Amino acid sequence: MSVQVTGLRVTSGKATLVDGVNLDIEKGTWCTIIGPNGAGKTTLVTAMAGLRPHHQGQVTIDGTDIHSLGERERARRLAFVPQHPTVPAGMSVLEYVMLGRTASHGLLRAPSSEDRCIVDGVLERLHLTTERHREVSSLSGGERQRAVLARTFAQGTTVVILDEPTTGLDVRHQMEVLELLKKEVDECQLTVIATLHDLTLAGVFADQLILMAKGQVLTRGQSADVLRSPALSEAYDMQLRVLSVDGADVVIPVR
Amino acid sequence: MTTDHRQRRRTIAVATVAIGLLVVAALGGLAIGPTPISVGDIVGDILRHFGIGHHHLSPLNATIIWQLRAPRMVLGLLVGAMLAVAGGAYQGVFRNPLADPYLLGVAAGAGLGATLAIVHDGGAVNVPTWTPWLAFAGALVAVALTWAIGGRGVRSTTSTLILAGVAVASLLTSAQTYLQQQASAQSIAKVYIWLLGSLAQASWSSVTTILPYVAVCVALCVVAGRALDIMSVGEEEARALGLPVRRVRTVVILASSLGTAAVVSVVGLIGFVGIIVPHIVRLVVGTSYRRILPLSVLVGAAFLVGADTIARTILSPTELPLGVVTAAIGAPVFVLILSLRRGARV
Repeated sequence: MSVQVTGLRVTSGKATLVDGVNLDIEKGTWCTIIGPNGAGKTTLVTAMAGLRPHHQGQVTIDGTDIHSLGERERARRLAFVPQHPTVPAGMSVLEYVMLGRTASHGLLRAPSSEDRCIVDGVLERLHLTTERHREVSSLSGGERQRAVLARTFAQGTTVVILDEPTTGLDVRHQMEVLELLKKEVDECQLTVIATLHDLTLAGVFADQLILMAKGQVLTRGQSADVLRSPALSEAYDMQLRVLSVDGADVVIPVR
Repeated sequence: MTTDHRQRRRTIAVATVAIGLLVVAALGGLAIGPTPISVGDIVGDILRHFGIGHHHLSPLNATIIWQLRAPRMVLGLLVGAMLAVAGGAYQGVFRNPLADPYLLGVAAGAGLGATLAIVHDGGAVNVPTWTPWLAFAGALVAVALTWAIGGRGVRSTTSTLILAGVAVASLLTSAQTYLQQQASAQSIAKVYIWLLGSLAQASWSSVTTILPYVAVCVALCVVAGRALDIMSVGEEEARALGLPVRRVRTVVILASSLGTAAVVSVVGLIGFVGIIVPHIVRLVVGTSYRRILPLSVLVGAAFLVGADTIARTILSPTELPLGVVTAAIGAPVFVLILSLRRGARV
């Protein structure tokens, strides 16, 4: 499914948090939003997920305005992972991942055999089968983030929006999470929209980068072009250099 | 054996124990009193009503059982079940372990309504018959006010509702205190007794009055268990998962408040049931509201009937206010739970 954002404006009181954002994200692509703190990345993705009211503009998935959909219908089309997912006390990995099937089985029915089959498959894909009966709160940071991804994939949507999915993870687990996402993009034609602070990882994994600052999109395009654009240093208000190492662009700050 | 199987077996075991406790409490509520009547005689008479056997109670004992103790016991079951499930549902919807059924001002509203009725009636010997209706109206007005202040609007959250509940309860309590200050000593004593709660005025009429409210509200709360489990990830994530959070919150709060208002209007304010019973159940069966809520219905009903039996017999012929007994049992149990859960999330 393709995602379009047209003239989006989000305000909070008198402050404008996001203004005049237009995006067209094609099916099966990975689009990463980068920018300094306070750029409006989180506001933009929560508005795109239909979780925050906007004051102007429209967000559509395959032509359908997401704000015209009820929660259940919306959750069948797109999944959203916040920056700090809540881990409920006492809930097993299996129960947690099964939450992803909420929109499919409804509130009054117990999960069906099809739901259980889907969840089993996702647990296996994300190497969580042996952890299925452990409490989510007892998992390590990397395992926990895999459980969050498993819940997201169990939702069975073709659009996934993630806000800083690698927060608090070491570099190995950051790579692991991003590789798992990349695999889903390649194998299942998943459309991924993510925010990331690590510019190098953003460039390595994304098909497209969107650079934001002060609530507006400064530039967008192929990763190499955006990372080498003068707008990058302007957005962060500091000097950034891009080095090419083994074919990958590495962004380093200049003191 | 997997954790899920163990959890299921434990839930079945706890449900069996809870049903056993409920039966024991109910039979105890019928058998124990100034005129002891054997459990065998009572069971025989109950079975005769179902066409099994020919066992008859004496006319006096039949009157004691069916006109005095049975309505009181059944009322106790309904009140205990409603308060416990409402407390559990509130704890789930507000994600707050200290939530109880009086969180949104039901107690303050009912208290003001009852005080108005009693004070207006002046020096009459008995509590006026329209006290329950004014208490019921007061409770509903309080929740409606709380909802109007904190539950509407785009940015309403459970926190704003809780704060609105605190404000409304404070306002209504101050009005009640003013009324009491203006009232006679006799009226104040009656208000005080009403506030402590009692099943002494129980009758089949009071049972049939609250039964429809309790039946519907308990059913709605129990059915909401699955939704409350989803809400344990927070409102934003629950919405992202496809849960209509606002609708669920509205249904759970209205059902809990309406059911609580109905039982409070008939029996007064009974504390601790709504907060400790769900915690006891949670301690034993885990954090899923699909298990906590139905088991709270059973344990709450058994707890209140047991407490009432103690209240009316321990200092017989004097009857202790039920609220005193539930608090006297509830407070130490609550402390015990907190000490057992030290270091764990409640």
